[in-house]
Amino acid sequence: MVTARQLTAPVVALLVLGVTMTVALGIGAVHVPVPDVLEVIARRLRLADPDVPLVDDQIVWQMRMPRVLGAAAVGAGLAVCGTVLQSLTRNDLADPYLLGISSGAAVGAVTVIVLGTGIGGLVGGAAVGAAAFLGALAALVLVLVLAAGPGGSLPPSRTVLAGVAVGQACAAYTSFLVMSQGDSQAARRMLDWTLGSVAGLRWQSSLGLTAVVLVATLVILGNARSLDAFAFGEASARSLGVDVTRLRWLLLAGSALLTAVLVANVGAIGFVGLVVPHMVRLVTGPTHRVLLPMAALVGATFLVAADTAARSVAGDTEIPIGVVTGLVGAPFFAWLLRRARSGRAGVAG
Amino acid sequence: MRSRPLHAILSATLLVVGLAGCADAPAAEEKPVADGGHFPVEVTSCGFTSTLNAPPERAVTLNQGATEVVLALDLADRLVGTAYLDDEVPQKWRTAYESVPVLSEQYPSREALLKAAPDFAYASYGSAFDRKAVGSREELADSGIASYTSPFGCGEEGERPETTFESVWREVDAVADAFGVPERATALREAQQRQLEELAASAAGEGVDVFWYDSGEKSAFTGAGGGGPQLVLDAVGATNLFAHVEGGWADVSWEKVVESDPDVIVLADAAWSTAADKIAYLEGDPVLGQLRAVREQRYVTIPFSESTPGVRLVDGAVSVAEQLEALDQ
Repeated sequence: MVTARQLTAPVVALLVLGVTMTVALGIGAVHVPVPDVLEVIARRLRLADPDVPLVDDQIVWQMRMPRVLGAAAVGAGLAVCGTVLQSLTRNDLADPYLLGISSGAAVGAVTVIVLGTGIGGLVGGAAVGAAAFLGALAALVLVLVLAAGPGGSLPPSRTVLAGVAVGQACAAYTSFLVMSQGDSQAARRMLDWTLGSVAGLRWQSSLGLTAVVLVATLVILGNARSLDAFAFGEASARSLGVDVTRLRWLLLAGSALLTAVLVANVGAIGFVGLVVPHMVRLVTGPTHRVLLPMAALVGATFLVAADTAARSVAGDTEIPIGVVTGLVGAPFFAWLLRRARSGRAGVAG
Repeated sequence: MRSRPLHAILSATLLVVGLAGCADAPAAEEKPVADGGHFPVEVTSCGFTSTLNAPPERAVTLNQGATEVVLALDLADRLVGTAYLDDEVPQKWRTAYESVPVLSEQYPSREALLKAAPDFAYASYGSAFDRKAVGSREELADSGIASYTSPFGCGEEGERPETTFESVWREVDAVADAFGVPERATALREAQQRQLEELAASAAGEGVDVFWYDSGEKSAFTGAGGGGPQLVLDAVGATNLFAHVEGGWADVSWEKVVESDPDVIVLADAAWSTAADKIAYLEGDPVLGQLRAVREQRYVTIPFSESTPGVRLVDGAVSVAEQLEALDQ
């Protein structure tokens, strides 16, 4: 049964997300007064027909709006993936990059950055994104092949270890390439890419990301009950009639694919997928039907806020969003560990 | 068991005796003083002074900027090696450049440098004298190799000079002094001063607001108020839209670029970010494609190496002026 408390939380979270996104639209390198921001939005939504200067429309609607929407989609996607992977592997440290996705993506991205090649007519950032996606897919396939046991089972501990192995190999290749082939700029651009950023997202990619995250979240939500069963271990899940192997393949590969799409667009952004699920579990408890949508909303809010901080606290220049999420995420994680040690809450769901 | 300590003492003693018996490294050859009066010359940069007893006959340049200073002074015959180009040496010096062996694509190792038996090493960046590259300047001095680092490339920010043409010419003066040809530096300085006077007189960039697009897609890496791009734009009389930003280059938000509505976009052409790639990005982006300068294709392109403080900066300014004049026709 859905309790009153379970219902209020998502509604409040949705409101907070809406407010955060609106506030974020008013903040940026160029100062646009709040009434002007509202006029731009009202005109675009055909609520009113005020006289809006083109430059305000370009900055608020064509540059900030897709960026804010994109940040929300990425935050939601990472939080959902993190939740799923933590439940499936029953590992508190699982995050969306667990299966070598980010290291595989880095292999693709760095190859293009350092060698300066294009991919099928794509150049610059587009080529880097495409290469990152291909790299992530290759790493994922490799991890799944290494981890798959007899009869197609996918034991969680082997999956985690295969991810670590593939990740290490990828990292070695990346460092080698940057140090041996890179020009003076390659290391800087490599770092830029690794830290992730939602800057430069335009409507097309943001709408794409939003659609992908929505569909993936709905599919995962459809399996919420089975995920609950997993929390009590594989044996009990089986006894409850869950097709453990099929579900694991579906959800592991599905969330990895989603992560690959996110990484290809915005690079690897740490801590959201790791910390947000823990944070939300403290409030909602481990029931996935509530946990998943809440994680999505909180993840979205967190990343929109982090991105707004990233582009506004340091004057004219931007600090990488990964730095902000890490700065907020790490202390929280430390606190979480202390709390878990003193045994006050069952953090692991 | 009992024989072990004795064993250890014995072998240690043998080792010490053995080492003491080794000969010293062969002494570095004393160079005869070739030039009457002018030498020895002391050159100082980044807090390190080298003494040259004679003009270098076997010099090595590390980094493109250093190589180009030596080529501009017409001293290719005194080079035994070059290393680490960023892009291409310009046409006017290519024959001279190709007459000198390239020691390495990036920094050579210390061994590769010593193998060329140089008497002088000249680099654009302090990183050339890292342990991972050719080794410290003290070590090189011990091997009888004098050295000079471009003041712009000093590791300590306080040691770097202001980015001005005067600082560029002072570096050329110091290098020409080291090679015993100070008159060539004077001639180069005078020629470049004349070019700058002509540029100032024609003021091709008068009233033109410029956005200097170096690289970057998520944000714009642009020429700020204190670097080579600013000098080039000042020389042609144009306005840098980001002159108020500190430093040589800076990352700025695209929002600012859209708001500032540039008349002309200067594109730096580099191997890692070509002008063509940047044009493709600008024109393919739904917002940046609407910029007036992009719609009217008011672009100016110069090689990245003509936008860094060095002997080619004036060439960069001349090229920008010519392209600006062509745009107005």
